[in-house]
Parts: sequence; structure tokens; C-alpha cells
Amino acid sequence: MNAPMTAAKFGSGHTVRRIEDPTLITGRGQYADDITLPGQTHLVFLRSPYAHAHITHVDTSAAQAMDGVLAVYTGAQLAAAGVKPMPAPTPFPRPDGKPGISAPRRALAHERVRYVGEAVVAVVAESIEQARAACDAVVVDYDELPAVTNVFAAMRPGAPQLCDGAPDNIAAAMRHGNVEACAAAFGAAAHTVMVDVENQRLAASPIEPRCCNAALGAVGAPDAGRLVVRLSSQMPTGVRSGLVDAIPGLTVENVRVLVGDVGGGFGMKTGIYPEDIAVGYAALQLKRPVKWRADRIEEFLGAAAGRDVTSRAELALDANGKVLALRVRGYANVGGYAAVAGVAIQVLIGPWVSTSIYDIATVDLQFTAVMTNTTPTGAYRGAGRPEAIYLTERLMDAAARKLGLDPAELRRRNMIRPEQMPYKNAMGQTYDSGAFEQILDQGLALADWGGFAARRADSAARGKLRGRGIATFLEWTGGNALEEKVTVNITADGFIELGSATQAMGQGIATSYAQLAVDVFGVPIERIRVLQGDTDRANGFGSAGSRSLFTGGSAVSVASQKTIDEAKTLAADALEAPAADIEYAEGRFQVAGTDLGIGLFELAARQPETRISVAASTTAGGPTWPNGCHICEVELDAATGEVQLVAYASVNDIGRVVSPTIVRGQVEGGAVQGIGQALCERVAYDAETGQLLSASFMDYALPHADGFVGFKTAFDVRIPCKTNPLGVKGVGELGTIGATPAVVNAVIDALDHAGLGAAAEAIQMPVTGERVWRALNLKTFDPSPYLL
Amino acid sequence: MIALNLSVNGQAVTTQVAQATLLIDLLRGPLALTGTHAGCDTAQCGACTVLLDGQAVKSCSLLAVQAQGCSVTTVEGLSQGNTLHPLQQAFMDCHGLQCGFCTPGMLMTSACLLAKTPRPSQAEITHALEGNLCRCTGYVNIVAAVQQAAGVMAGEQA
Repeated sequence: MNAPMTAAKFGSGHTVRRIEDPTLITGRGQYADDITLPGQTHLVFLRSPYAHAHITHVDTSAAQAMDGVLAVYTGAQLAAAGVKPMPAPTPFPRPDGKPGISAPRRALAHERVRYVGEAVVAVVAESIEQARAACDAVVVDYDELPAVTNVFAAMRPGAPQLCDGAPDNIAAAMRHGNVEACAAAFGAAAHTVMVDVENQRLAASPIEPRCCNAALGAVGAPDAGRLVVRLSSQMPTGVRSGLVDAIPGLTVENVRVLVGDVGGGFGMKTGIYPEDIAVGYAALQLKRPVKWRADRIEEFLGAAAGRDVTSRAELALDANGKVLALRVRGYANVGGYAAVAGVAIQVLIGPWVSTSIYDIATVDLQFTAVMTNTTPTGAYRGAGRPEAIYLTERLMDAAARKLGLDPAELRRRNMIRPEQMPYKNAMGQTYDSGAFEQILDQGLALADWGGFAARRADSAARGKLRGRGIATFLEWTGGNALEEKVTVNITADGFIELGSATQAMGQGIATSYAQLAVDVFGVPIERIRVLQGDTDRANGFGSAGSRSLFTGGSAVSVASQKTIDEAKTLAADALEAPAADIEYAEGRFQVAGTDLGIGLFELAARQPETRISVAASTTAGGPTWPNGCHICEVELDAATGEVQLVAYASVNDIGRVVSPTIVRGQVEGGAVQGIGQALCERVAYDAETGQLLSASFMDYALPHADGFVGFKTAFDVRIPCKTNPLGVKGVGELGTIGATPAVVNAVIDALDHAGLGAAAEAIQMPVTGERVWRALNLKTFDPSPYLL
Repeated sequence: MIALNLSVNGQAVTTQVAQATLLIDLLRGPLALTGTHAGCDTAQCGACTVLLDGQAVKSCSLLAVQAQGCSVTTVEGLSQGNTLHPLQQAFMDCHGLQCGFCTPGMLMTSACLLAKTPRPSQAEITHALEGNLCRCTGYVNIVAAVQQAAGVMAGEQA
């Protein structure tokens, strides 16, 4: 340990191999379903086949008598036992001024079901096969009710009502801005444009299905008498709170949540699910470990869906293309039960970024969250920002088309300038930094914007219709949870352990944290270990909203420096020298001007607890505002309607870059999710019955390997964030937000050029081959989805 | 129960399985090889892909008894001792994984491809990976990793 350690090439800004990978690449990862506990039992849910029905009778007697069956639970039993429903969106108002509302969402449905796939009965047995067989033997009598899946149909008088207290099925609604000022701006405008957009429902679809394994600690074991819950989640502490809130008798002290490797989250694994509560309850009752692992169909039926908002958006402009006002009316389908997150995303978080990087002083934004007989919605990568930015960027293209301006030029005329920073937008959100025109110019250069005409001619020579689309945009990150604490342990066996309540879910946060620690400690990256996913070790918001690096990473940096500062005192004692004379470099303390010194880990070994432990908290001064310019080109095949991506260039401002490889992976992988929304993904329900039509990967079209193109991805690192010590901005959602409008704008550009003109703006997502073919060959589009 | 003899990662395995036991459940359960993942249970996502006598198959849709007398290779059997398979090395070098859940299936499908087609074109790689879904990477770096591994393997064999 006394030899100087070379670390420079592993610090921030350097390309490194991820420290996560050696385990994952050899099949030694530990995902929730990989753990089988002694005495493991298995839970299987019986789910509602109806979108809307009264439960009139449940007969579990035959199931309970079957081999291996340990328990059969119904919603009535859990309600009688005092298991509480999940929170309603009371922080947000209804139009009548009363608090936001939802029917009570329970671990198991009680008296009534409100969407296909809602869990009704839980069977626990010694084996999965036995539990499944017993599920088949449960008899549930339903009295079917009319169902509604469309938000506009749900708001009409006489529509099926999901919840007492909401005859209009409106869970909550918010208005932002100034109605009169906006109307005046539209009245005085030289130009106005309008788009009707369905931002369709999506399935987040991490490849790892949800899994929850709960066990009561055995007498004599370290966790004796406590409920230990292992699951795949982005928010271990939030899951603990959710369990404590729902299950009588639990306290934060007697619940421990453990999270191992997470096979993708994308926002869908934030917070607790009804299934987790049922599993926890069963484990407490049976005093046996109880595991549930979702089948893929249960993920489509039960995991929080994303997006699903239908809007009419309008822009008022002066004769020079300066935007005067933005007006949006959005109706979000939040599903059979309105969740706090599902509502907040649509009525508040999206509007925060509606004006994006443009200097638009006047807005009138009204968002309404409507309950229907569909799966409840929640966070999915971007969560509100993709919906808002999609509208703004579609409007920018529509305005450029109307004014006959280059779409990049129209955007340029409206961009907030660097000298306006810090800039408070029309929603009162303050951007600390941004050089949007600088990003635009680099994007145009990277995409060879000026060379498009030649490429279009080349495509035409091959019989293809080429289009070009741009999105310049920003997003808000951090979830307004700006504080993080990190504990640093220097161990006698030569490791620096970083403990954090943020959560790895595949994004490579451990590697980024390790690089930041290398910056401070100057040791090889192999010496750093990142410990997450244990509520006994650390508590906090978890990982969501692209917050981990700017909150948790800042805390890593601060705690690491504090550790060295405190260890200097210990080194001074060990070396019998004044603390002021102690210098630290590359894992070693040295008395200045002498060869007297001690290694960091040797110093730890000499402490009474054979370690040095230091904790520090930091609070970022605000959210970060990552931004970018994404430009895409597509080719359409007029004979088939097929859309082929042929070029994608992006320049991104995420402030300082800690891990170049990882941020590129985030932007490009994220962009493919955004491309998926633009071109192929769609959750579909049968409007009459509320049956889910897209309940498998054969019916829900994720992007496949053959859909990718060669991304050109660049980062401008010259615009650091000013509200956190690292100068970083969140990166996890940026690519997803930019890709969707860039791709659809490119398709519309191609259709416009093919002779459809502004009529092409009626095309809806996903822009499938069928829709493009109908547009090109029949000149027809789907009717407006905005049915007010 | 049926007596089953097979080879898993070069080791002879003799066991008893129920008729309905799926190959993935034999691997993940009694054999404790949890590197093979269940992502969809319906042969659509490919996370469960293993090699059966060298052919990439989806172990969620194969009965264990169908592997009677066969040689099964899982991700745990891909490396030679401490030496990673060139594909494993390339996935790390190229950032071909993020959450890692689809990765074992991607590796096994790619291993099958490279055994049959040592220097595949980009189109051949994306075609081979059609049955493997990844939600994190956008596939770009996975394809690059397969290309890198193909080059390394061809170099070694030359």
C-alpha cells in the first residue's frame, strides 16, 4: 500500500471500462429473481379479466385445499386487516376546488376492479406451479360494468364513473399562466399555428420484470423480527415508506429494503406497487419468505404506463417569427387510479419546461388528469418533459412552415441568450446556464444541415422521400430532491467504500461515482467500491429524474474531500507531526519535506475500528437544465410507407462530463427509446371492452437491433451548471426527449415535400408504415384525437 | 419425474425433472445458474438464450427433457477459466451493456453467430440479434462489440 498509486487515467473526464461490467458480463449479477431464500414460497396473482366490474363473490375454498397452498388472500381480507390504499393525488386540485381524487388503489382489489389486470387474489404456495394451479381454482364472480378508455369519452356526461366525488372522472387539473394576456397575444398575432397531438401511452419495458421477495427475519438472525424486502427498484427508501404506510404494525425501524442489480428502471421502478404490499403482507402473515416475479404480461397489465396525454397546442407569432404566446390544453389519461406521480408529471412537471429554451413570456397552459379503465400511469423516462417538448418542437416546425422560414432559423430567433442567464421562465423556473445558440450551431454543423438538399436529391434518385427534422430543447432534472448524503469508509484491506441512497439501475452510476472519488483520493479505480440498495445503510430519494450524478456525485466529491481532511488529523497523530504539515497525495499522507509518511489504508487499519468513516451531505442549489440540438434524417418508401432513419446527429450540453462513455450510452440508448415512441411503440386498448391489445412483445413493438443508425453524438462541456459543485447536468433522459420530435418532424418534412404541405402535421405517433402509406397514397390521416 | 442426463458448461449433469420443467427453470433452480434470465417467458426477448449443442435457443420455451443427451452452454460457461470470451471482453470495451439483464442472451446469440459466421456483416449481426431485446443501449454498442469480437477471434485463428 505504500507504493504510489497511479490513478490519473481513471478520474473524471477519462474513458474507463465500467466497474459494474465484470460481474454482469459473466452471469454473476444478482437481480431480485436470482435470490432464492431457505424455505422460499411463491406468490401468484389472479388478475381481473374485466376493465370495470363489481366483485360480487370470491370463493377460495377449492384453492385453499390444494397441494402446497399456504394461503389465499382477497381484497376483502386485506381491507379487513387494515391494509391501507395507496395515496390519492390530494396535493393537486380538482376543477371544483376540492383536493385531487382517486378511487382507493389497494394491494388487492376490493369490491370493484377498474382495469384489466388489476390484482384481485393472491395465492401463496410452496411452488410456483402449485400457486398457479390454485389460482385457476379460485372462483371470482364479477358483475361487469361499462368501461371507458378514452379521456374525452370519460369526461362526457353519462360516462362510466370510476370514483365517487368525480362525476367527470377528473382526478385533478391545473392552470398556469395568464388566460387573458395569452388571448390578447393571439388576437394581435401576425401568425398562429396549432397542432392536435396524441402523445400515446407507452410501456417502459425494462427487460427485467418486477420481482419482490419478502421475508421475516428469523429469531436469532441479524434481522430477527424485521420484514426484509428484496426487490428491483429505483427507490428503496420510498418502497420502505410505502410498506410502512400501507401495512399496519410496520415501522421504518422494522423494515429493511434491499436492492441488488436492477435490470433497467426508466422511471417505471420508482416507488411501491400494490403487488409489493401484497407480498410483504403475505410474508408477515406466513412467516416464510414469499417471492413474486412478474410475467411479462403482468408487466404490460400492471406496471405503470407512461405518457398518454392528448393536447391541442397553439403558438402566436409576430411577422418576424418571434413567438408571442404559447397555449396548451392537455388531457392526460392517468388510468383507473390516479397516482400522485402520474398526475404531477402531466399537470405540473411537463408545464415547467413548456417554453423550453425559447424566450416566451406569455403562456396559458391547462392540464387535466382524467381517470379511465386502463392501467394507472406513472413515470417513464422524461416524465412530462417529453410530452411538453414534443408539443413545443412540433409547433416550432409548424410555425417555420407557415412563415416559410428555415426551422433552425425560426428557433434561433426565439432562443434565450446567454446574457439572459439566470433566466426565469414563464412558469417561474430559473435556468442557471445555457448557450442554446452555440449548441444549435454545433448541431447544424455536425448534421451538415446545409448539405441536406444534395442528400435529398440523392435519396430521390433512389426513389426515396427524404426528410429532415430538428429539436432544440432543454429539460428539468432532479425531482426537486436536491440533497444527498454519502458515507465514505476507508477499510483496512485497501478499499474506499462509498455508501449512497441513490440507486444503480444500469446507468453506470457506480463507475461515475468511482471516477469522482479517484479525482479526490488519487487511487486506482479498483480501490473504489460503491454500496447502494440497503435502507439500513442509506436513505434518500433514490434515482429518478436524472438526479443521481448532480446530487449524489456532488456528495461523493464533498464527502471524499472531507474524509481526507479528517484523516489528516489521524495521520498527524500517527506520524507525531503537526496536522498543518501533513500532505496527501495518491493514497498516502506525508509529512511535508520529509520521507515520513503513512498509507491511507494503513492509517485506517490503525484506527480502533480498523476503518475511517466519514459522512457528508450536500444540497444542490437548484435543478439542472441539460439541453441539446438533435437532428435526424429519414427516408420514406412511398410504395410501402416504411420509415427508415438514415442520420442522427446530436450536440448536448450536460455541463461537465464525468464519464464520456457512459453519457454517450445514455444519450444514444435514450434516443432509441424516443425513436421507439416516434415510430413503433403504442399501448392499445379495445375501446369497448377495455381489453389490453398490446400485452406482449409481439404486439408492443420495441425497437430491435435492425432499427439503429450510426449516431453522431457530441458534448459541449464549456457550459457548466452553476448550482452544483461538479458543474454537471443530468443526462439520463435527454436523448429520449429530443429524439421523438426530431424524428416526427423529419417524417412530416418528407411528407410536406412530397406535396402534402402543412396537412402532413396531422400525422400521429407512432408514425407507422401504414400511417405514412395512407398519407402518401390516399392523402388521409387519422381524425384529430382532440375530441372536445 | 424423468431421469435426465446432459452436459452443462462441460460438466456432466444427472438429475430428475418433471415433464413440464422448462430448461430455464432447471438451469436457474437446481443448477443455480442464474446468469440465464427470464425476461418475457414467451421466447420474445431472448434474455434466456443458451447454446444447445452449439445452437442458440430460448431456454424459456424448451422443456428440460428436450436437452436429454445434449450439451448446454450458459453465460457462466462462456469464459475459459479466468480468460473472458472475446465477446465478453468486447461488450465491456464497447459499452455494450448497461443494466446487463439482456446481456447473457446477447452474448450467447452472438457466440452462436460467430461460430457459424466468423466475420459477419453489420446486417448479419442485426439479423442474428432480431430475437434479443435490449432496452438500454439502443443496440449500437452491442453491434460494435460483436464486430470487435469477430475481429479478435479471426485474428487469433489466423
